[in-house]
Amino acid sequence: MSAMRVDTKVVMLGKESVGKTSLVERYVHHRFLVGPYQNTIGAAFVAKPIQVGDKVVTLGIWDTAGSERYEAMSRIYYRGARAAVVCYDLTDSSSFQRARFWVKELQNCEEHCKIYLCGTKNDLVQADRGLRQIDFHDAQDFAEEIGAQLYETSSKTGNNVDELFQRIAEEYSDSAFQYMSNEAGVDLSQKKDSYFYSCCHNN
Amino acid sequence: MEGDVRNKARASWDMGSLPPVECLRIERSDSPTPDLVEGTEPGAGQQAAMFVHSRSVEDLPAEADEDAESRVEPQPVADGDPGSSETFGTSENGLQVEENIIEVAQAPKESSWAESRTKEEDICSDGWRSHRKHVFVLSEAGKPIYSRYGTEEALSSTMGVMMALVSFVEADKNIIRSIHADGYNVVFLSKSPLVLVAVSQTRQSDKEMIRELQYIYYQIVSLLTLTQLNHIFQAKKNYDLRRLLAGSEHLIDNLLRRLDRDPGLLLSAVTCLPLASSSRDAVSASLQAAKAPSLVFSILMKDQYLHHMDLHLVFNLVCSSSSSFREGEGWTPICLPKFNSAGFFHAHISYLEPASELCLILVSTDREEFFSLSDCKQRFLERLRKRNAYQALKEAVKTPSYSVDLVGIPELRHFLYKSKSSGLFTSPELPGVYQSEEGQERLMGLYQELHSRLHHSTRPLLSIYRCGETENFMAWLTSGFELYLCLTPLVTKMQAVSAVNKLLKWIRKEEDRLFILSPLTY
Repeated sequence: MSAMRVDTKVVMLGKESVGKTSLVERYVHHRFLVGPYQNTIGAAFVAKPIQVGDKVVTLGIWDTAGSERYEAMSRIYYRGARAAVVCYDLTDSSSFQRARFWVKELQNCEEHCKIYLCGTKNDLVQADRGLRQIDFHDAQDFAEEIGAQLYETSSKTGNNVDELFQRIAEEYSDSAFQYMSNEAGVDLSQKKDSYFYSCCHNN
Repeated sequence: MEGDVRNKARASWDMGSLPPVECLRIERSDSPTPDLVEGTEPGAGQQAAMFVHSRSVEDLPAEADEDAESRVEPQPVADGDPGSSETFGTSENGLQVEENIIEVAQAPKESSWAESRTKEEDICSDGWRSHRKHVFVLSEAGKPIYSRYGTEEALSSTMGVMMALVSFVEADKNIIRSIHADGYNVVFLSKSPLVLVAVSQTRQSDKEMIRELQYIYYQIVSLLTLTQLNHIFQAKKNYDLRRLLAGSEHLIDNLLRRLDRDPGLLLSAVTCLPLASSSRDAVSASLQAAKAPSLVFSILMKDQYLHHMDLHLVFNLVCSSSSSFREGEGWTPICLPKFNSAGFFHAHISYLEPASELCLILVSTDREEFFSLSDCKQRFLERLRKRNAYQALKEAVKTPSYSVDLVGIPELRHFLYKSKSSGLFTSPELPGVYQSEEGQERLMGLYQELHSRLHHSTRPLLSIYRCGETENFMAWLTSGFELYLCLTPLVTKMQAVSAVNKLLKWIRKEEDRLFILSPLTY
């Protein structure tokens, strides 16, 4: 699976338990796992080919852990990402603050990375409007301000999930067409960057 | 004096601000065991009494603590052997200094438990109290970091008391090791900047419990590295470590559960998949051929190249995160404290095939090397297929264990055999009698007890033969191996000895299948 060529790197960011893994699960495996919350450890990688027009684009999706413990090393996961899905929980205002943090981080370190804001757990909000803590228009304003696109998704029902990733793939495909001469995807066998990292670089 | 303390403690227990005491409770606190401890030495008589007692309680109807239990984790058999409230520790020496402290300590505990209520599990409830083993982790500033049951916030005053105990004894240039009172063992492990405390009603010795606390300590170190841990607390003494550990509590929960069940943690050994030596060689060769420059270790299922403690931590990590690695590939920093507590390694964790049980763990020093390790895995898989070893491996995984009948000793129910030179152990499937959670933990408890007798710090033993009501045990420690046999209760000593000899012969015959005789290194 991983031996295939990955065209573009997509990274999932956001506070813990907002549902990044669920979003990936829904998109890649078309399922929603019910059960006790399990946090992601480190990060998980999955490659997913997707049809855009008459071409196939392979997204290399990095599902990162939201836990603060991994924050110091989050850079290795989003470095070189062409798209970032910054997730927040529609029913948790603190997760939106965290999303702002990630956006700032990306703007500082990865200026070529396109940002997709994603409000998760839309099904909860649909079921009970009182649960909503993040107003759609506030989020919309923020998205405009940072030049991002906004999606509200539900991994439980699948609402808007495919649209989000389809959009990512399309936009990549468009931009790849424009910059075809510059770079042609990421070669998995490429050697690592020249700078040196010690194994205890996290401090 | 001792009796005094116990009575007082029990009085406060009963009078304390408890919810109405139901019959189970009475049954338990009125159990004859305290008196038993007074009279008997830790020996056969006491064992027998214990069996009777544990059975009588198992016969009781539903568990009282079930309702208070809101976590999903399986109930640690609170009632497996409450007779265990006796300890052989009481007769032991040296630690009695704290006897008078316990009275002081219990009073504030009672009141603080009464005040605070938690959503998760009411720490005032009987259910909370009757858990067999509590584990607490706190910082040296007395800040709660982890509690096995109940929320840490609710326990902050209790933890404060624990810290007070530790520093009170420390003030006299002494170290508090344990407190024994009212059937409870309270064991302290001070590992600056952390303090770990276990409160148990089991028959485990202090040494066993310290070992378990050490596992918990190393689990925390493996998440953060020791360097980072020290750094954090040097910068800010009252840092709330839970912020960094958020989401990993279940790793510790799971580790504690495995400590109760997995003989590997007891024996400080791991087990490997029984595999014909030719296929094992093929697998190892494929692994070696597929190496990358930064690769430090590769573990396929259960091959051992590492300190057993580190290996168990890696296994715990993988086992605790059931689904997330299954279809994708994980890439996570992990510190292997016995190998290097200062830095992180990076582990590439993947299943060979989404549906397969085989998990490959590649450990690298370089966090940029994800894709080269990913390649590594592919190469390994291809090579494995080419040599037809993959099929053999898949077959072997289908039957990861073997039945004890294979050995051909009818009296033998179960055994543990640890080969000291390789650090590997082997043991058959649990027979029917022990397959339930309670049964499994009871058997493990008995093994644990034998183990702590063999490895007693002042009076180590070389062999033990023990008759019980429900099973007989034989334990034998030599320079080359460690062996524990669980036999049917009617076996005589002669039969047991011949069973040992037969078993050893069988193991020698199967040696190359059960153990890794020639581990490869990079």
